[in-house]
Amino acid sequence: MSFIEAKALWKEYGDNTVLERVSVSVEEGEFITIVGASGCGKTTFLKMLLGIETPSRGELLLNGRPLPDEPDSDRGIVFQKYSVFPHLTTLENVLIAKEFPKAGLTGRLFGKRRKAALAEATEALQAVGLEHALDKFPAELSGGMQQRLAIAQSLINQPKILLLDEPFGALDPGIRADMHQLTLELWRKTGITVFMITHDLTEGFYLGTRLWVFDKVRDDPHSPDAYGATITYDIPVGECDHRTLQKLEGSLGGDKENTEQRQQDEQVTTV
Amino acid sequence: MKKNSFTHVLSLFPKLLALTLVIGLAAPSPALAKDKFRVAWSIYVGWMPWGYGDNAGIVKKWADKYDIEIEVVQINDYVESINQYTAGAFDGCVMTNMDALTIPAASGVDSTALIVGDFSNGNDAVILKGKPSLKDIAGQKINLVELSVSHYLLARALESVGLAEKDVTVVNTSDADMVSAYATAGVTAVTTWNPLVSEILAMPNSHKVFDSSQIPGEIIDMMVVNTKTLAENPKLGKALTGAWYEIMSVMSGTDEAGIAARTAMADASGTDLAGYNAQLASTLMFYQPAEAVKFVNSDALPATMKNVAAFSFDHGLLGEGAQDANFIGIETPAGVVGDNGNIKLRFDPSYMKMAADGKL
Amino acid sequence: MKRLMNRHPGSIGRVFLTLLPFLLVVLAYAIASDIRLSENPSDKLLPSLTSIGSAVERMAFEPSKRSGDYLLWVDTLASLQRLAWGVGISALLGLVVGIANGVIPYVRANLSPFVTALSLIPPMAILPILFIVFGLGELSKVVLIVVGTAPFIIRDLQSRVLEIPSEQLIKAQTLGASTWQVILRVVLPQILPRLLDAVRLSLGASWLFLIAAEAIAATDGLGYRIFLVRRYLAMDVILPYVAWITLLAFIMDYALRKVSIKLYPWFHGLSKQGTAA
Repeated sequence: MSFIEAKALWKEYGDNTVLERVSVSVEEGEFITIVGASGCGKTTFLKMLLGIETPSRGELLLNGRPLPDEPDSDRGIVFQKYSVFPHLTTLENVLIAKEFPKAGLTGRLFGKRRKAALAEATEALQAVGLEHALDKFPAELSGGMQQRLAIAQSLINQPKILLLDEPFGALDPGIRADMHQLTLELWRKTGITVFMITHDLTEGFYLGTRLWVFDKVRDDPHSPDAYGATITYDIPVGECDHRTLQKLEGSLGGDKENTEQRQQDEQVTTV
Repeated sequence: MKKNSFTHVLSLFPKLLALTLVIGLAAPSPALAKDKFRVAWSIYVGWMPWGYGDNAGIVKKWADKYDIEIEVVQINDYVESINQYTAGAFDGCVMTNMDALTIPAASGVDSTALIVGDFSNGNDAVILKGKPSLKDIAGQKINLVELSVSHYLLARALESVGLAEKDVTVVNTSDADMVSAYATAGVTAVTTWNPLVSEILAMPNSHKVFDSSQIPGEIIDMMVVNTKTLAENPKLGKALTGAWYEIMSVMSGTDEAGIAARTAMADASGTDLAGYNAQLASTLMFYQPAEAVKFVNSDALPATMKNVAAFSFDHGLLGEGAQDANFIGIETPAGVVGDNGNIKLRFDPSYMKMAADGKL
Repeated sequence: MKRLMNRHPGSIGRVFLTLLPFLLVVLAYAIASDIRLSENPSDKLLPSLTSIGSAVERMAFEPSKRSGDYLLWVDTLASLQRLAWGVGISALLGLVVGIANGVIPYVRANLSPFVTALSLIPPMAILPILFIVFGLGELSKVVLIVVGTAPFIIRDLQSRVLEIPSEQLIKAQTLGASTWQVILRVVLPQILPRLLDAVRLSLGASWLFLIAAEAIAATDGLGYRIFLVRRYLAMDVILPYVAWITLLAFIMDYALRKVSIKLYPWFHGLSKQGTAA
């Protein structure tokens, strides 16, 4: 039995088919990067993993059982933005993650338990390099620092799955490279299963152990919504040559400039 | 340098502002011999004839006769109409004798009671819920329009049973909300005027324990005009008086025209003919000018005004400049009440006399 | 020469420009009053500044001849108590219903259209109903303020709650929060500064309804006094009362803004120490 398994998954909104026939299985500890043109259902797939969307047909299983249809502490998430709480300081943002599952009606921990949680939160923030910004509000942090905070916050309760929805899309290339290092480091340390949506193919290749491309295989020009997308490429990273990359670029609708930009990013990334 | 030119421009502002205010607020007493006049009236049984006379063209007929224009304006808020008159926006306004003393006269606007139309003869009343006797009023909260004729009536009622205002609590209540206020459990006593009195008496367990027929001739409804305007424009006095008594002769009739006139007034005051007739029954209308002249000439009028002035002074209504109740002079044919050197309210029967003598 | 929009007054100039319109109004008033008084020394419409001053002294610092009370303070206390109850209840209702509407779809489906309908009722139109249900005492005055302002605050807070990015609510759930914890730790603290804003915006309406209620039936209060002395055109009392109400409203607005900055620095883009972020 696989860790996560999608069986003939469909998602439709009325007449609009977003995903069709997605069948795939994922083992624990994989780092899956997901690319695809916009509107091709990769976000919908992530939302189903998160539990805020349900499949129209087919099954999505976690350890052989349907995924709960609301978010829970098994699945952490980092969005492109709005991932942290603006009214809490850096330290409180991580502390609150420790408080939710353990505290009841007050939503807060007190005394020894609070002290222990604070120590753990501080440690987690040290691990992402935010030990100097414990008392700052998110608005005082740079974009990269906010995402570090969001990652620390997501991982502190040790979820089984980490979902990343274009987490570095809004960051400068240099910052992005730092974030890549941090992400890989944390992934190796925790052994967590990661799903990451990215618009940046090279980032996908660089970070993932496995890369999925979402695309439509059937198309009716008179009724563009009739057919949904599915996983058209499922590539174990490392088995990628130049021609595959070009083919992928074509299927994503990326132009040459974009490719060059990505290659530049890639250089920065690998420096 | 920059600042200087800026402040120079700004220095013009006070002049402009002052000018605006002067034009807007400080409009002085009407200019000499103008031929267009404005009078204000508000809804009350004794004042409905003005609205009728305006609609029926009687006011215009008399204005034309004296070659002037008279605009008759209905104001929904009674006190506001008097304030507007006092501020100079109207040449004449209907009001009671007490309000004539405490608002325009106390504000230094010399005013003349041109037409004394009626006095309240049961139209104002003290009503208790569940208690049949006026004596039961002691210790109660009484809802009324504070400082109005209702307040005066209450003071006279309390006097009549040896009580004083300190024996009760007065709660200022808008007349517009008096009936719904009375319907609430917390309100046990009100003093008010018609048509509210009949509305309230129609509710169960309501007892009229005192009314204005017990102090006849003390709550007087009149058309008041600016003394200076009247002196400069006797035509205004003649036209208004002439129109008024023509309306009186129509509405007092039992013929079709009289019924039609009263029905129109009933409609305009939001009741029906029967309701309006009932209100008229508790109002002593001076349908004949001679009756009004006799009332104004009597000795009772200065006595009444003395009472009213005393009440007004006790309640601070004569203004801060008033050292005693005699501060403002009130001129009546039977003699002056108060300060002879500061006459601000005049009861002048001469125009009504002209009407009585058929000289209009 | 810089554009006009780029030129700023210095600190002294700023004070001067701030005070100028106030001074101009006082000056213009004094001139107009003088003109009227020279025609009619007993004129009450635009009393002189000295007679206004003596009215203030009489109302605020001398016991009333009739009751022995210092009227201005008695009136102020009475009005502020009513206002505090009214605004306090409105704020609490706004917070509870606004958050419940914003967070819980079942409550929203149930209450949101109702609150919208309520907010469209002109409160003054239902005064007779309020009197009959709540009596003529303090309660009906407070209720009038609540009826007049609570629906606005509820609707405002509901839309503020809905403006909180759904990412945050999902995030909290992935951290193991229950509905109650999301309300308590994520929604409530972010809504409180917005509540203060909504209260500030509704203060004008609150004063309006307070004064209307006091005009209709009362034995004390700022609105009561104004409508009472209007009966004999005592502008020397009305004008300082109006100025006093304006000052009180201004102080409240200022205090609420300061409280918000102090308690919720993040909302104003400030750091925990209150310095600019």
